[in-house]
Amino acid sequence: MNVGVAHSEVNPNTRVMNSRGMWLTYGLGVGMLHVVLLSIPFFSVPVAWTLTNVIHNLGMYVFLHAVKGTPFETPDQGKARLLTHWEQLDYGVQFTSSRKFFTISPIILYFLASFYTKYDPTHFILNTTSLLTVLIPKMPQLHGVRIFGINKY
Amino acid sequence: INHIVHNGGLYKRPFNEAFEETPMLVAVLTYVGYGVLTLFGYLRDFMRQWKIEKCQNATEREEQKDFVPLYQDFENFYNRNLYMRIRDSWNRPICSVPGAKVDMMERVSHDYNWTFTYTGRVIKDIINMGSYNYLGFAQKAGTCQEAAAKVLSQYGAGVCSTRQEMGNLDKHEELEQLVARFLGVESAMAYGMGFATNSMNIPALVGKGCLILSDELNHASLVLGARLSGATIRIFKHNNMQSLEKLLKDAIVHGQPRTRRPWKKILILVEGIYSMEGSIVRLPEVIALKKKYKSYLYLDEAHSIGALGPSGRGVVEYFGLSPEDVDVMMGTFTKSFGAAGGYIGGKKELIDYLRTYSHSAVYATSLSPPVVEQIITSMKCIMGEDGTTVGKARVQQLAENTRYFRRRLKEMGFIIYGNEDSPVVPLMLYMPAKIGAFGREMLKRNIGVVVVGFPATPIIESRARFCLSAAHTKEMLDTALKEINEVGDLLQLKYSRHRLVPLLDRPFDETTYEETED
Repeated sequence: MNVGVAHSEVNPNTRVMNSRGMWLTYGLGVGMLHVVLLSIPFFSVPVAWTLTNVIHNLGMYVFLHAVKGTPFETPDQGKARLLTHWEQLDYGVQFTSSRKFFTISPIILYFLASFYTKYDPTHFILNTTSLLTVLIPKMPQLHGVRIFGINKY
Repeated sequence: INHIVHNGGLYKRPFNEAFEETPMLVAVLTYVGYGVLTLFGYLRDFMRQWKIEKCQNATEREEQKDFVPLYQDFENFYNRNLYMRIRDSWNRPICSVPGAKVDMMERVSHDYNWTFTYTGRVIKDIINMGSYNYLGFAQKAGTCQEAAAKVLSQYGAGVCSTRQEMGNLDKHEELEQLVARFLGVESAMAYGMGFATNSMNIPALVGKGCLILSDELNHASLVLGARLSGATIRIFKHNNMQSLEKLLKDAIVHGQPRTRRPWKKILILVEGIYSMEGSIVRLPEVIALKKKYKSYLYLDEAHSIGALGPSGRGVVEYFGLSPEDVDVMMGTFTKSFGAAGGYIGGKKELIDYLRTYSHSAVYATSLSPPVVEQIITSMKCIMGEDGTTVGKARVQQLAENTRYFRRRLKEMGFIIYGNEDSPVVPLMLYMPAKIGAFGREMLKRNIGVVVVGFPATPIIESRARFCLSAAHTKEMLDTALKEINEVGDLLQLKYSRHRLVPLLDRPFDETTYEETED
């Protein structure tokens, strides 16, 4: 199976997040993660929420902002090879609905985690730093920017 | 699901096309399936890198490890971790002519599809639902074969030259006149390869400063030809006339991007039958739009020539339109005529221009003589000029098979895409594991099918594609349907909910973005 055999979509990765049911699956996935963490008897509710937040943000960072390129060969001679998945979404057009959704969802998770941890200082520091690692790369000014050359090639 | 369109009398018969939407539960499970496969893919890559597991595919030599890598590992991720697992459903070696039944060499794999070994056994008489054999001309005995054998002994197998140098045989002239008569156009030209017909001739027709409006689901040959030409490409949603009209209006009102000059030419690229969706182009509306906005139409009838229309003349005859309305009629001889190659038909000035300026005419070898004879004999058979009614019977048999097969599959409860009259029947599978399972289960029951998944289709729309043939008898279709029913129950593929929803299941206001090359 090759990309571009039966349609003229050059990079299918750009449309994956817009497909039907993707947002629902993502929400269900986060919910499932949280339920699994809640059912471990050693974790109290605040710890479970902070862990959900941190693990979710770690996963989002790795899959959207660290991994570059496409898992298949595209017919455009590798224009997207150096771009992360976030930068590839919708061919780089900013403020589309998928981008807005994935920007807002870590913020909502952050609000919930702050509430359930009763604004405890240690939890606050952890949650805020992990939120910042996932919000800053999403800013349009950082499109294609690689700080200190990390992850450039 | 079915919406009968009459659109002010443009359509002389009901146009039933349906693309039932993916059920939400199925979509969620599909994503979960791909997610699990991705995670396991990362795990296996990790194990391979740390030498816990043996790496089976090609790697660079030890001395080259410190150099800049030759290729990006990640681009092969899908290939290594998903495609390899179900690779035995593709590239199956056959050892007989692929007619309605085909023989296949049996092969097994002892290391999970990384290598194959032949057991030596030949699986005989597999019902072939994958070949584009619409009119059943893929035979090893018959008038076509005898004529081709005679021409082979007379002219030889190779031409060894391009059309413009020494490769223009009298057989080619005869073929081109026959094709022009068949299509009802003034003149035609034939090329050696169907893909090359598109990719080499679109650059000859349009260039920089022209606009190409191409359908979302156009074949790779049309996309390649459009890109090679250097024209600006804009994509309209599949078979969506409102989208096409909007693009046409914008193009004429705003002109070229920065200079606002008018476009030199606007060319609309559509296909007769889209092979992955089974949908038929809305030709009456396209022609009406073309005339209103004074643009040109390029119709690629690769799958529809010979397969549609009461006498097999293609999609133009199916809608009852005149071939003069289509500026460039392109088609291939590969599917319905059992040969190889492509043709372009149109006005005499256009074809004379292509004879001089097309890349294929100058650089590519012309068709081989036995192939030309196969096309001539099969085309005469379809037209009825060989004195029998075999051709007409085949066209009617194909239409009957199509209607019967689609009706039975819909009744069983599968989700089928496409138009009711198209001989290409995509059956939706959706989940990645079912792609492999369906291919293997059908082979166990002696039926050969073609399955496709992501990234050749959108991520939640993997499918199995059946191509019906006039050579399939009703008994073969009944056997196939019985087996499909069994496998459908086993794999739980009967997703259809028989809902009646209005057409345009794919709403127009869903915004999509395309690559801009400024």
